[in-house]
This record gives sequence, structure tokens and C-alpha cells, in this order.
Amino acid sequence: MDRIHADIDALHGLHRAMAHFRLAGRSMADRGNDQIAVTRASLEAEASRCRSRLEQGHADLGACRQRAAESAATGNGPVDCSEQAEAVSEAEERLERIRRWQYRIDQEASEFLGVASRFRALLEDDLPRTEDHLLAIIASLEGALRLQAPGT
Amino acid sequence: MPGRPDQDADHQLRLLEDAWDNVLQHWHDDVAVHFAAHHWAPLQQESRFYLEALRKLMDVLSAAERETSW
Repeated sequence: MDRIHADIDALHGLHRAMAHFRLAGRSMADRGNDQIAVTRASLEAEASRCRSRLEQGHADLGACRQRAAESAATGNGPVDCSEQAEAVSEAEERLERIRRWQYRIDQEASEFLGVASRFRALLEDDLPRTEDHLLAIIASLEGALRLQAPGT
Repeated sequence: MPGRPDQDADHQLRLLEDAWDNVLQHWHDDVAVHFAAHHWAPLQQESRFYLEALRKLMDVLSAAERETSW
């Protein structure tokens, strides 16, 4: 009979490490998906704040322009609405920036979820089969060791 | 407190790789060669591929939150 070219304790250690990785991997995959949801919610909340700010900015700018028109009609001095216009412009810019990030996250998440789906299948299907195969190898080696023991 | 999931996952994979390296020091038969090619290599490659995708995603999510909070 051939010598046993393996450290059975190390193989048991690998089997334990695989089982641990399978459980930890599920948790990591869940956290990755959770983080996508958290960031999407955070961006949507920020977008909502920007829309409110923009709405208020448009109202303030409209009121200012109204005052400016009335002032011009009555021959009073000019009314400066640049501050209100700047507030509107800033809110529009922020909202646009958020929309661009939302679009990018949708794209990145879609790409990632394909990879994550394959990794999930690896954890749920392939890795348990590998663990079973490794256990069968270990059992075979232990059986061979028992047979060798009396003669060695 | 948990760190970024990609960093934690990388740590977990390194533990698994250490266990594999430990096995490889003593396992040198045909079964080992077959196991390495048909079980270990696909597991390691797919896991590394996933971790890279997760790392890239986490970088994008962090940047998105950083650049949209005022």
C-alpha cells in the first residue's frame, strides 16, 4: 500500500475553514446587498431635501421677481434677486449631481448583483459539495491509515 | 463594529487560503492534484472575483454618499 501523503488534521482544518467561509460568505453577501439599499435610501432622502429646497427657491425667486417688477413699475429702485437665483441654481446642480450618482449606482449594482448571484450559488451549491467531497477523501485516508497501522 | 464587507470578506478568504496552504504542505498525491484543479481553484477564483466586485461597489457607494452630502 502507498504511503499516506497528507496531513489528516490539516485536511480537517480545511474542511472547518470551508464551512466557516460558507457561513461568513453568506453574511458578507447580505451586507453587500444591504449597503446598496442603504446608499440608495440615503441618496433618495438627499434628493428629496434638494427638491424641497428647489421648490422653495423657485417660490422665493418668483416672489423676488414680482417685487422687482412692481418696483420697476412704480419707479422705485431695482430689486436684486441674484441671491434667490443662485439658491435655485445651486439646488438644481445638487439635484442633478444626485441623479447622476443614482444612475451610476443602478448600473454598478446591476453588474455587481450578477457576480453576487454566482457567488451565492457557489456558497449554496458548489461549496457544500466540495466539503462533502473533502470529507469523503478524509474518510478514505483515515480508513487507509487504519489498515496501515497494524503493519507499521 | 463591523468594517466594510469587502474587507471582512477578504479576511475570511485569507483564513481559508491559509488552511489550504497548510494542507498543501503535506498533501502531494493525485487526489490532491485533482482536488486543487477541480475544487479549490474554482472556489478561490470565483471568491476573489466576487471580492473584487464587492470592493469596487463599496468604493462607488462610499463616493456617492461622500459627494452628495452637504
